Amino acid sequence: MHQGIKTTLITLTWFPVLYTFTNHIIQPYCINGFSMTPTFNNNDIVLVKKYNMKSSNLTKGDIIMFRSPENPEKLLTKRIKGLQNEIIIPKKDYPKNQVKIPRNHLWVEGDNEFHSIDSNKFGPISQGLVVGKVLSVIWPLNRIGVDLEYR
Amino acid sequence: MILPESFKFITSTLSWTLRAGCLAHLIHENVYEFTETRGESMLPTLQNQYDYVHALKKYKFGRNLTIGDCIVAMKPSDPNHRICKRITGMPGDIILVDPSSSSNLTNTEKQSIINDGYNKFIKIPEGHVWCTGDNLCHSLDSRSYGVLPMGLITGKIIAANSMNIGIKGLCDFRWINNTFVDE
Repeated sequence: MHQGIKTTLITLTWFPVLYTFTNHIIQPYCINGFSMTPTFNNNDIVLVKKYNMKSSNLTKGDIIMFRSPENPEKLLTKRIKGLQNEIIIPKKDYPKNQVKIPRNHLWVEGDNEFHSIDSNKFGPISQGLVVGKVLSVIWPLNRIGVDLEYR
Repeated sequence: MILPESFKFITSTLSWTLRAGCLAHLIHENVYEFTETRGESMLPTLQNQYDYVHALKKYKFGRNLTIGDCIVAMKPSDPNHRICKRITGMPGDIILVDPSSSSNLTNTEKQSIINDGYNKFIKIPEGHVWCTGDNLCHSLDSRSYGVLPMGLITGKIIAANSMNIGIKGLCDFRWINNTFVDE
């Protein structure tokens, strides 16, 4: 009995280490929704890299995960279509004909443009909202390491 | 093979250091933070230097915050900079952006007409807040960079200490209250 409590406590002391690891190095996430098809399907599991996420390390075409500007509790996965200081022509009913992306902001769009809530709705997002960059699909098994380039 | 006693001691020390460090980090990210603040933008609530604030992290991402709370957030145009402001508008509120841009004290008559500061209103979108410094004439805030996404908020300031008298400043503790009055 006494031994059991001790083992539990020792195991609990590793919880902060796990927390720090998943928050700052790498964490798996489940994709919900269809905004990134055909690159990701609903309920795919992906690995997200959390370190080295400065704006200089992000390029056009990267898939990033970020906090939704409209609901901070929700995470979204989209593809970067424009970096800071670039001029973008939005697709649909965005109030402006062209947008200059402000400093340290990104323009993001989903691969499935008909089912995607993205920068065409809420505008450029701040770099500070970025959580991480998607590295690869790890589930389902037949799609492990599938090519993430835009097709 | 039996490991020497000293090797065991070193690995156990390192392992406990790692766990303690990560625990401190977890608390720092999710429970409580004590940091220095600088800058004139929050005078007279916070001094422009030597002020340390107590911030609670359970309010991060704008959870349960109301109008009038002091917050710590990342600057939208530079996430490495932290800003400390007061929330002066919640989602759905209609805000007069900056009447001082048409004040006849600092602008010529022509400029005030162009800026049209008394008629520029915006409605705050869902998931955003409007934040301004208490020292309105010396503050870079929502009036220049627009609405602040709640995802950038990292905590709420509940109290402050002034350390300009050294470590004795720990006794100089004061609460920072919500000063909003609904008239």
